[in-house]
This record gives sequence, structure tokens and C-alpha cells, in this order.
Amino acid sequence: MSNATAGATVVLKLSNVESAYGPIRAIRGVSLQVIRGQIATVLGSNGAGKSTILKTISGIIDPRKGSIEFKGEDITARDPALIVQRGLSHVPEGREVFPLLSVHDNLLMGAYTRKDRDGVARDMQAVYGYFPILKERATQDAGLLSGGQQQMLSISRALMAAPELILLDEPSLGLSPRLTREIFEIVIRINRERGTTFLLVEQNANMALNVADFGYVLENGRIVMEDTCERLREKEDIKEFYLGMKETGVRGERRWKKKKTWR
Amino acid sequence: MSNLWDLEHLKPRPDIVVPGETMSAVFWNAVALRGPQVIMRQKHLGLWREWTWLQTAQAVREIGDGLLSLGFKAGNCASILSNTVVEWVLADMAVLSCGGVSNGIYPTDAAEQVQYLCQDSGTRILFVEDEEQLDKVLAVRENLPLLTKIIVFDTEGLRDFSDDSVIGLDTLRELGRIHAKTHPGALDARAAACKADDLAILVYTSGTTGKPKGAMHSHRGIVYTIRGYNSIVAQDEHDERMCFLPLCHIAERLGGEYFALYTGSILNFVENPETVPENVREIAPTVFTAVPRVWEKFYSAVAIALRESGKVQQLAYGWGLGVGTRIADRVLAGQTVGPLLKLQFQLAKLVALNNVRKMIGIHRARFCVTGAAPISPDLVKWYLALGVPMLEVWGMTETCGAATYTPADRIKPGMIGPACPYNEVKLDPATGEIMVRGTNVFMGYLNLPDKTAETITPDGWLHTGDVGQVDGDGYFRITDRMKDIIITAGGKNITPSELENDLKFSPYITDAVVVGDKRPYLIVIVMIDQENVEKFAQDRDIPFSNYTSLTRAKEVQELIWGEVERVNKKFARVEQIKKFFLLETQLTAEDDELTPTMKLKRKLVEKKYADRIEALYKS
Repeated sequence: MSNATAGATVVLKLSNVESAYGPIRAIRGVSLQVIRGQIATVLGSNGAGKSTILKTISGIIDPRKGSIEFKGEDITARDPALIVQRGLSHVPEGREVFPLLSVHDNLLMGAYTRKDRDGVARDMQAVYGYFPILKERATQDAGLLSGGQQQMLSISRALMAAPELILLDEPSLGLSPRLTREIFEIVIRINRERGTTFLLVEQNANMALNVADFGYVLENGRIVMEDTCERLREKEDIKEFYLGMKETGVRGERRWKKKKTWR
Repeated sequence: MSNLWDLEHLKPRPDIVVPGETMSAVFWNAVALRGPQVIMRQKHLGLWREWTWLQTAQAVREIGDGLLSLGFKAGNCASILSNTVVEWVLADMAVLSCGGVSNGIYPTDAAEQVQYLCQDSGTRILFVEDEEQLDKVLAVRENLPLLTKIIVFDTEGLRDFSDDSVIGLDTLRELGRIHAKTHPGALDARAAACKADDLAILVYTSGTTGKPKGAMHSHRGIVYTIRGYNSIVAQDEHDERMCFLPLCHIAERLGGEYFALYTGSILNFVENPETVPENVREIAPTVFTAVPRVWEKFYSAVAIALRESGKVQQLAYGWGLGVGTRIADRVLAGQTVGPLLKLQFQLAKLVALNNVRKMIGIHRARFCVTGAAPISPDLVKWYLALGVPMLEVWGMTETCGAATYTPADRIKPGMIGPACPYNEVKLDPATGEIMVRGTNVFMGYLNLPDKTAETITPDGWLHTGDVGQVDGDGYFRITDRMKDIIITAGGKNITPSELENDLKFSPYITDAVVVGDKRPYLIVIVMIDQENVEKFAQDRDIPFSNYTSLTRAKEVQELIWGEVERVNKKFARVEQIKKFFLLETQLTAEDDELTPTMKLKRKLVEKKYADRIEALYKS
């Protein structure tokens, strides 16, 4: 199964990427690609290495091995600021807004690398269009926003760099199901309206599989499965281990886990 | 640490260590003899917990009395569906002490297979390991009218579950204690009434073709065989063994459990099948029996680690192994090892070989035994070069395990050795098939008198189905399974296992099936070693995502073809493999294509991949 559908352009390509924290290898040879205009997702449990993949792409961590290509250009271990300028923004896990800056200034920080003032102003309006609450609170300190609003701000800040690809790390973290749904609806809107490509990392597999076009399953730093989300949803192991649907068995309850086969 | 030139400690022991003509008598006599000594160890919450003979005896007694309280009669069958754990041995001994028939079921078997085995064996009591195994039985319970009670070893997760016919092992032991008060001596009377010629255990053959067949072994056959094992190479109370292969397989049942109970060697149980490599290092067995698959795995781990190591280490290893190989060659040729070579070997151990042995966990091993499947001669040679005597035994379920063995002082790699002193082995003059006769030969297949008559001749010779040759020293060599011999369209007889064993020696190949009967040439179906091939791909920046894409990568295909070519060089042109393909799904023991011992089933693989085979011949 390959994500390279005919006629589609690969915007991001990882080949054999390995990253480590000291002696601990967090990702152990990951190859994947993201098609322009699509939403791709990486599913995996705690500690599978999902966030490490994103950090390696955006240049925060230098990989030990392997290469990363963005729009045909090798960006492996390049300066994160340069990668942003190339059109790749990272929405980190836990939002990481600047708490003592106003909402407006936070957004301007996102546009820090840009020179086109008109464009920045236009994007500011667009962002306020997606998230009207941010406009209402434009002058307040970002630290005073609720978790969901901070997530909106974090996504908006990434948008302000006018990226072609956004890396989105666990947007549902700590949010209510309703807020999560709202945020994902807007992600889809941004994707459809602006043509922005997304690489989404999520623990909320159900949500991610509904939103994304193509999915990779990461276990212990390795990809064990890849397919369109439509087909992934039908796989036995995905149903049991990621969607929490399992046969209850004859006793009506089952504690033991099946062996994963990833077929 | 063992040396190859000094094999004084590998002595046969002809006397009877523990008296008793039935397995249960041997057990109870051993209890009386060894009371406070340790017989088993199992890890519990990360700590090794010891079982003395007395503790074991008490548990067996309570379980046995518990079975009596459930109306379990002499000659009734009880089955055990569990991984290799202490409770397996307890249940087994309890069933035999009741005069019952004990049958093991692979924990990897699916519910339907469990149903078939219970039906065929007429199982009345079923021991299951845990919740997971219990669910299998519950799913098919309505088809098992004879089954009266299911006993669960580990009841975790079943607190809210209540069912009249399911009880925990602790409850059974409680029932046993109560029953013993009103029926003192009942269990002893049962054990004493048991005759040597009574049926003791059923061992189902893994059945690479058709339904599994239940091989019947009497107490006489079992006791005779374990006494016989000690007359080849003896072990005793000072030896540490690792108990890890499935106990429903003859190798661990006889060579592990029963042989240890007889000799008093300590059985150390692994935590689960996945932790074997760590557990070997912890246990550091002094006597180690395993199947070729395990020996191959150890070798690959060393081969891969070596590739990662520095230049100096590689040189040290290369030199050390060279010295070891020279010693092995001399010992195998019956020559003495000179003092200089001995000195060099001490140095070789110091700089490299001891570390290799420690890395595997065989640094205390007096000797190792391989059996149950063919092994590559090169692999045996490697262990010998490390200074570890690697003895090969050949046998089968129907011969109660080993029927031939390689004596430690006279190993001929590639040959399975002469007949064990306790049985006769000969070649069928007409077909070259190896035949075995002796008390260790089984009683026949349960419910299959026709099959039994086909297998055992009226004068007691067993048709083993293996074709072989014998040399002037009485050493046998297996050329192949009778039914596996390939005759190509060109009329050439080919023994696929020779090619397959050489292929399996590659760290990148787990198993292979050579195909080519009535075909113009040979092709091979290969199952790759995921870990090592992944590492190969990663080291060379070969992009892959999952298992399937790994097997499809051009470089991986070339790698495997390289391995095939390497093996091809050893064979004549007509015997060479011309094409191959890789299995694209990662198989587990639960899959039909694999036996519980993780061997590919030839017939099933040929059938399942018939289209791909056909396509390969057409292309």
C-alpha cells in the first residue's frame, strides 16, 4: 500500500529517519510521505515516537540517520527558522503560547519571519474569521485564555507564517469532546479553503481517522501499518487497539489482549 | 567454562537413580529421596521463587485429591492448555498420580483445534492457564459433553465470573484437602494401582498434514526412556535447566520435565516465550536442550552485534573463533589438542569467546543438545568453536524423543550419530527409511488402529518416515522426510531440507520451503527474519514502512537472493534454486502456516501460495 497516488505531489518525505534522546532511540527508522493538500495522520500510543517525528521534521531535533525532504528540498537538520520560512509550521503539543504577550502579539510572533505586511494583515483577518473568539480577546494576555482558546491561538499562530504544511501535535490534548470536534472542523476548513497540508499526530484515533485522508500507525518507533483512513478503520487491530471496539467473547467481558498482527 | 578437549564430565550413568516403574512412582520416590532440595524455580513479580520437592509434592497431592473429589477415574483423560509454567508440571503429575491420562494442548491453538483435541482424547477435566485460554474453551464447550470441569491456573480477571463447571486451581486444592480428610490414602492407592503398561500420556503430533494424531505413551516407555537418557549423557541435582519449550511437545516433556524429575536437575521456567533471551542469561543453564530455531536466533544475535562492534573486537572474535575452530577440527578428527593450542584457546576465551558465551547465556553450559528439527552443520560447528559441546539428537514423538545421539567425544556435524544404547535403529533395505525398535517406541495412535498398523510392523519396528544413510561407524545421516523428497521434471531426486537448513543459517532467513516436485527447476519461499532484515534496511537507508514494504524493497530481495546464491554454490546445477519469493505477511504461531514450534508447514504453504508459485514458474 502506498500513499503515492498517481498525479499527486509529495510535499513531505521522510526516509529512514532515526532520532534519539541520548542513548534512547525514540524513532527507529521511519519512512513516510505526505501528499499536497491532504491531511495525513500518525497514530500511536504514549511514547510511540509521534511527537519526536514532528520535532525532527521541524528541525528541533536533529535525526541520527535518514533524510527529510520538503517540496523536493533536503531540510534534514536545518535551522528551524529556515524551515518555517520554507513554509512548514509546527503546532507543538501543549500549545506553548507566549502567556505574557497579548493574543494579537502572539499572532504577530507567528508572522515574525515574513516581510509582506499586507499579506500578514490579510492572514490576521482570516484567522479572526476562523476563530472569532480570538478577535474578541485580541488585547488580553494569552495566558488568560482557556485551554481550547490557547489551542486555537496556537493553530492561528502557525497559520500566520502562511505555511504550506502544518505539523499538528495532539490538538485534542486536555480538551472536551465538543471543543475537540470544533477545532477539527476548523482544521478541515483550513485544509479545504486554503489548501494547507496537515500532518496530524493524535492519540484520539477515532477523531484522527475521521479527519485524515491517509494514516500511519507507529509502534515502538516503527511504522507497522499504513493505509487510507477509510481502510484503516476496518482493520481488526485498529478496531481493537485504537478504537476500543472488541469482541466481548463468550463471557461478555474480556481483559486479555489479543496479539497484534497488523494486517 | 567448558572446553572441547576435556569431556570427562560428560559421563553416562547406567544405574537407576530413582526407582519406580511408572512415572508417578518415580515422582513420589524422588520426593522421598530429595525432600528439601529445590526442583523448580519460577519468576513471580520479578523474583525467582523456589519450589522444593516437598512443596511440589504437597501441591500435586492436593490437586490429585481434588481430581478424585471430582470423580476423576483411572484411565480418564485430563488435558492441559497452558504455556510452560510450574502449574503445568503440578497438574501433569497429579493426573498421572490418579492413574489418569495426561494430554497437553498448545496454548497457541485456536478454539476449533482445542475442541478437536478434547473430543479425540475424550478429555473430562481441562486445565487452562488463564482467562485467555478459558475463553477458547468456553466458546466450544457445548460440543464437549464429556468435559465436566475446567480448572484455571491463574484466575486474575475472573472475580466476577461464576460458572458451575469452572473453578480455580486454589479451589481445586481446597477440594482436595477436604477430600483427603475423608479418604486418606486414596491417592496413594490410585498411584500404586497404576501399571507400567497403562497409557500415561498423549502427545499430539503437530500435524503438518491433516488432523493431529494422538501418540500414546505408556508409563513403561517413559520410564525406560528417561533412564535411557541418563545412559547417554548424565545430569544430576547440580544441573540447572531452562524449561521453556511447549510442554505438550515431546522434547520438553521428556527431555525437560520428566528427565529432570528423574535426575533431580532444577527446572527454571521462563517468564513467557518472548523473554527467553533475557532469561537464558539470568539462568545460565548448565544443561541446555533447544530446537535449531533457538540456536539459530542466538547465532544471528551474535552475528548482528558483531557487525555493530569495533574493528578490534571483530579481529579478536575472528582470531578467537579461528582457534576454536582448529580445536574443534582436531577433536572431531579424534586427535589430541596440543598445549600451545590450549593456551591460545584460554587467551581466545579471555579476549572474545567468553563474552560471546555470556552474551548468549551459555557460559555455564556443560553441554547443549539440539533436536526436534534438522540443524545446519555449520551452526553446530560454530558452537563447538566456542568450546561448547553441541550434541545432536534425533527422534520423534513416536520414539519418545531421542533415538540416535551424537556422543560428545565423536561428533560428526551433519550426522545424527549412532543409535541410542536403549533402542535399535536400522535402514529399510528397500526404501532407505530409518526404522526404530525398542521399549521407547510408542503404543500407537489413539483411535487410529489402521494408522498404527501402518506405522509399526508386527515385529515392533517403527517406520519413522525419515530417509537416511548409515556409515561404517554406525552413524546415521538423515537425507529427508520420505514424503518431502522432490523429484524434478528432469527426474532428479532432491532433498529440500538440505537446502532449507543451509538457507536458515543466514541471519536474514527464518525459514524456507523449497518447491519443485514435477517441475523443471526448484524455487524457494522464504520467511525473512524481521529484526535482522529491518536492521539491514535501516543501516543502508533503504526506505520501508511496514513488513510488507520491507519484503518488497529491491535491496532486500537482492539480499535474500544473495543468500540463495551462497547456498546454491554448494549444490550441483540441477539441485540449485532458480527463483524465489518472500512471504509478505508476518506470521505468528497462531497462523495455520506455522507449527507451534514456528516451522513452516510445507504442504500448507505450497497450497496457500499455489498461485504465486504458479506465477513464478510461468514468469
